[in-house]
Amino acid sequence: MKKLLASMAIAAASMGFGTAALAECGEIKMAEFNWASGELMANVDKIILEEGYGCDIELVIGGTTAIFASMNEKGSPEIAGEQWVNALRPVLDPALEEGRIIAVNEAPITGLGEGWWITPNTVEANPELKTVLDWIERPDLFPSAEDPSKGAFVGCPAGWGCQHNNISLFEAFDMAEKGWVLIDPGSAAGLDGSIAKASERGENWFGYYWSPTSIVGKYNLQPIPFGVPFAGADNWDNCIAVEGCPNPQPTAWVQSEVYTLVTAEFAEGNDDINEYLAARVYPGEVMGSMLVFMAEEQADGEDAAYEFLATYEEVWTQWVPADIAEKVKAAL
Amino acid sequence: MDWLFEFPEMSREGLRDLKKGIDEAFQAFGREYGEGIEGFFDPLLAFLVWFEKLMLATPWPLMIIILAALVYAGARSWAMVIGTVLVLLLAGYLGMWEDTMRTLSIISVATIICIVIGIPLGIIMSKSDRLQSVVTPALDFMQTVPSFVYLIPIVMLLGIGRVPGLIAVCIYAIPPVVRLTNLGIRLVDQDVLEAADAFGASPTQKMLTVQLPLALPNIFAGINQTIMMALAMVVVAALIGVQGLGSEVLKAVNNQYLALGMFNGAAILAIAIVFDRVSQKFGKRLQKHSEVLHG
Repeated sequence: MKKLLASMAIAAASMGFGTAALAECGEIKMAEFNWASGELMANVDKIILEEGYGCDIELVIGGTTAIFASMNEKGSPEIAGEQWVNALRPVLDPALEEGRIIAVNEAPITGLGEGWWITPNTVEANPELKTVLDWIERPDLFPSAEDPSKGAFVGCPAGWGCQHNNISLFEAFDMAEKGWVLIDPGSAAGLDGSIAKASERGENWFGYYWSPTSIVGKYNLQPIPFGVPFAGADNWDNCIAVEGCPNPQPTAWVQSEVYTLVTAEFAEGNDDINEYLAARVYPGEVMGSMLVFMAEEQADGEDAAYEFLATYEEVWTQWVPADIAEKVKAAL
Repeated sequence: MDWLFEFPEMSREGLRDLKKGIDEAFQAFGREYGEGIEGFFDPLLAFLVWFEKLMLATPWPLMIIILAALVYAGARSWAMVIGTVLVLLLAGYLGMWEDTMRTLSIISVATIICIVIGIPLGIIMSKSDRLQSVVTPALDFMQTVPSFVYLIPIVMLLGIGRVPGLIAVCIYAIPPVVRLTNLGIRLVDQDVLEAADAFGASPTQKMLTVQLPLALPNIFAGINQTIMMALAMVVVAALIGVQGLGSEVLKAVNNQYLALGMFNGAAILAIAIVFDRVSQKFGKRLQKHSEVLHG
């Protein structure tokens, strides 16, 4: 019995030593956000960190709030690549202040944003309508299936951070009185499906979406300027973004911010990876073309990541030291 | 020996072209016929919207009285009536009245449509072995295939909202009533059928007065299962924009709102229990009635 125990102890010790020698940065849980650009970024990070830095990455799939709650409460996943932070401000700011969560990159994709979009042929056919203020006078252009006398404005799926924003703006612009109904598409599939269906059939579509996305790229959706200035952070944070605010003011959409977040525990002792994450900035047009590629080729995040690494070498080799870039290239 | 370990799979390009081809064919189909199909469902949509508006516009005390009366008519049990009233009052008190009415309206319509299509289909199936051999695998498919797979083509054809939601619910919920109607009729004793033949019953008379009454226990088990499965689809239907308790559950799931999820889940459960007990008691009562007649 003693012999057995001893040999087990030796085996355990040697196994422990083995993994320590193999992996320089160890096992990391990384968030894979459940939308196309989130999948792409997570998989590019995974390949570069695994091949270049010798990490062992496990991807955890989730949405904005679920991932952040888990990072904040449990310290896992350790990295969130494309965290849209506007809706998270009330919980994120205290976490950043207390140092539980570190924002290593405050703009991993350039030129992005949320807002209201309209199908391109609709915009072309109505050149006199320029801003949201003009469009909301024409509910007749977007008849709702369930009540054709009203205009359909497709908002944000139930439970998403943007749901309250759209409800409040709908109210702020008096859209109910102007003859609009706010449609809840139910899910990402419902929202995308409604755009795809309208675009395929040449119907008009007006609703909430964000960029960079394959849908915006594929169907060439046009962002509509709101026609009013941004009415201040106070109106936005404490009224537009909250459920049931009594008196929302019309405003342009707040400038969207996306951060790459890591947990405090991870940030210590992984300087090389933090440097990579900070340097990793996707130009907006590169991300846009990758998303159209994903949609057209039906590529998943992993396929798209390999395509990105092969096609945009001049972009990603800037993010890492030359020796790491060589290692990653060798593995492709 | 590589071929032993490398599965001979299609080339990436071939696979991609195949997927794209299917998608494009479906998109072309949608562009060509989508509007026509949508138009075909317009009366159903109008009815769904009207029925929901009616339920929402009815004053709540009247609605509770109507529902209690329906429960009494079905189950003839005061305990059931009191239970139903309490559940409705509690759901309303916890702020779920409108969503409960929305869910009740779509589930009632879905159940009625499933029964109206399902029972005749089951009857025809019981008459024809060939039809049975075609329909049975189709029913297996409808029950087994994950609903997300057919949500995509439904949304592409019909958009989001009540009609596509109702179709998704019915695809999943209709198989039990079809299956058990078919089974119930096939299980009727041969001797009884011979006796009916001996009395000179026409096939229609035989079906209406002998086979269907004797198959009632199975048919009601089918209806009961159909209702339960329709309720199970409430949350999935919410994914394509059907408002009601299901969309509140989705909201709760997306935000980790524990209490909101439990309240709405409990409301769906309560509706399920009421529907289940009432349909079971109603079924039993119908059989007693026919036994007395035939006895």
